[in-house]
Amino acid sequence: MPDTQLIGFSRGAVEELSHQKGEPAWMLQKRLQAWDIYESMPTPLGRRGDLGTLRMFSNFKFQQLTPYVPSNSNGTLPALIEQSLQEALVDQRSGLVVQRNASVERIELEEELKRQGVILTDLDTAVRDYPELVQQYFMTTCVPVNSTKYTALHAAFWSGGVFLYIPEGVEIEVPILTQIWIDTPASATFAHTLIIADEQSSVRYVEEHNSAFDGDQPSLLNGVVEVYVKNAAHVEFSNMQDLGLNVWNITNKNAVHEKDGSTTWVLADLGSKVMLSDIGVGLSGNGSAGELVGVFFTDHDQRYSINTLSNHAAIATNAETLVKGVLTDESRVEFIGMIRVQPKAQQTASFLSDHTLLLSQKCRAESIPSLEIGANEVSASHGATTGKIDEEQLFYLMVRGIPREEAERIIVQGFFEPVLQRIPLENLRTRLRRSIVRRMSGSYETEADTWVDAQERWEVEGVDEYAVSLSDKPVEEEIILTEY
Amino acid sequence: MESELIIKNLHANIEGKPILRGVDLVVKRGEVHALMGPNGSGKSTLANVIMGNPKYEVTEGEIWFKGENILEYSPDRRARMRLFLAFQYPMSIPGVSVANFLRRSLEAVREGNKPLEEGENPTGKMAKRKGIPPGEFRKLLQEKMRLLKVDNSFINRSINDGFSGGEKKRAEILQMALLEPEISLMDETDSGLDIDALKIVSESVNALRGPQLGILLITHYQRILNYITPDFVHVMYDGCIVKSGGKELALELEEKGYEWLKPSSDEENEVTVNA
Repeated sequence: MPDTQLIGFSRGAVEELSHQKGEPAWMLQKRLQAWDIYESMPTPLGRRGDLGTLRMFSNFKFQQLTPYVPSNSNGTLPALIEQSLQEALVDQRSGLVVQRNASVERIELEEELKRQGVILTDLDTAVRDYPELVQQYFMTTCVPVNSTKYTALHAAFWSGGVFLYIPEGVEIEVPILTQIWIDTPASATFAHTLIIADEQSSVRYVEEHNSAFDGDQPSLLNGVVEVYVKNAAHVEFSNMQDLGLNVWNITNKNAVHEKDGSTTWVLADLGSKVMLSDIGVGLSGNGSAGELVGVFFTDHDQRYSINTLSNHAAIATNAETLVKGVLTDESRVEFIGMIRVQPKAQQTASFLSDHTLLLSQKCRAESIPSLEIGANEVSASHGATTGKIDEEQLFYLMVRGIPREEAERIIVQGFFEPVLQRIPLENLRTRLRRSIVRRMSGSYETEADTWVDAQERWEVEGVDEYAVSLSDKPVEEEIILTEY
Repeated sequence: MESELIIKNLHANIEGKPILRGVDLVVKRGEVHALMGPNGSGKSTLANVIMGNPKYEVTEGEIWFKGENILEYSPDRRARMRLFLAFQYPMSIPGVSVANFLRRSLEAVREGNKPLEEGENPTGKMAKRKGIPPGEFRKLLQEKMRLLKVDNSFINRSINDGFSGGEKKRAEILQMALLEPEISLMDETDSGLDIDALKIVSESVNALRGPQLGILLITHYQRILNYITPDFVHVMYDGCIVKSGGKELALELEEKGYEWLKPSSDEENEVTVNA
């Protein structure tokens, strides 16, 4: 435990961090190499004429941050975090990791999974106990250290982190939940998730990013997620980012696939002041497939830059990217979606769509879908739309007695609904529906909930289901259904 | 208060171009009025202006309903007074199920004519809205669907999304049946329907017809009037109602067309059309 906290990033800070962790020399070397790469790379500033998200990030006061906030909780979690674990995106979980600032403070894994050889641990422990796996997979081929200047900084200062290994043939049906919490102002957190799904295994993995601190001294969450999908394995990774507006967020996620491997990314981004998000699907195994479902809703002066890459590098690979977002107030979102088909990637099928709805005069969105096609036997398409709420649709709803603001909310809900239907986690769908209602109406209201619950019942569970209240709140009269 | 819709000397523009040039019309509960006229005469505009479509600008005249001048009311408030418009081209709203939409709509309409006070309802919801329990709503909806012979699967679909022309029109009638308006404006409900669909829609309208409901049936063709017998027929031409009469007027129009009703115009650049 350090007696003084460092401020700012430096080579000395890298050494100090590694020393505190008692790391082996190879990891210190890796960190120092990453630091050199960080120092040598220019700061990304974006393109001329873009909406300026990268440029804004380049002015972030990195040197005022504490690069590493150690644990001070003695194993107990703050009440807020305990509470959120009760209301998490998964009702049942087979494993749990809670990272608070730079430290993993809780790890749980079902005994049965342990018996089957599943490894779920923090990355520090993995460095000690499974050095060969970490050396092989940590920021090598999935998200290489030099992907961006910010991934290099991550590699130099990563801390906490999750290491998950699923042995051949093991299928984890009940999700593993990770929560990452930032509750210290002016701090930097470099959360790292490394998942290795061995042949014919599968896992459902859920990561929630939250923050809980006041004030306008901003903190940084610079996270990397690396997913290795071996032959015929499947990984479903859902991420809900609901950070406060005093957190700046950089995230790099990539999945690399062997033959017939597949990944589903589900990304819900609601929070943080500025977010740079890179999500990749690396299809380097024949017959591999990737699916990306993204939802965002920005308000205030939030800035997002979202980059997706479907990288087809083998025969008969599929990818589908579906992103829908709503902007309001003075928020700005840049979306760049790339489909890259390498020369040897024959029989590729790839699809990308990005639809954005603008609710205010001052919000701005830019959408750039692109294709780079090197093979000749390819089916690839992309589409992007950006628009406002249709006045005729509004009039239609209003003529049915529905006030304007509620009509707008209904149209926004309808806009999101098709993509929400693609989200496998029921609680995430519900959480997003409620967030949408809350953002549209400016406050939390039970009546709005009723609409959401009804939507849930009728559209998701089907009309013949017995209605079940999705929350633990007292069941209202409206929820009781006598006939279906 | 008597449920009368009274339109006095109504003038309206779209993008500065005058469409309605002084319409006078009274529709009472229990009456069926057919409003006929050639394309572009302003029939649909009239329906839209009565409902308060912001696309149109009212430059002169008044619209009274139940003793209130509703010209300044928002479309939703007019609807909550139980004015109804069956659209000529119903909008599709993807992702919003018919069932949820209709329940919310019924709740709103049952709430009645309450103004939404500025600032008090930032959420756009009316104060103390009484929700309709889903079970009760479902029962009511199924009753209406049986009456109109609408298929059950329809309620779980998105509003008008992927509906055929006939389905859209029937969905409009279903909404009308459910919301129980006092005056209903039916804008070209017959257009785009084949003869079988036309019969079904007409039967539905006849089933809803009664002393509680006044209908303004806007149509281009006399055809639907073979199935729905109007009490009054009005002919609109160039933004004015140029002739009113009983149901026999519709037959006369069928025979002679609209040209003979063309008002003697003093506009200098009027193009002469051969009948």
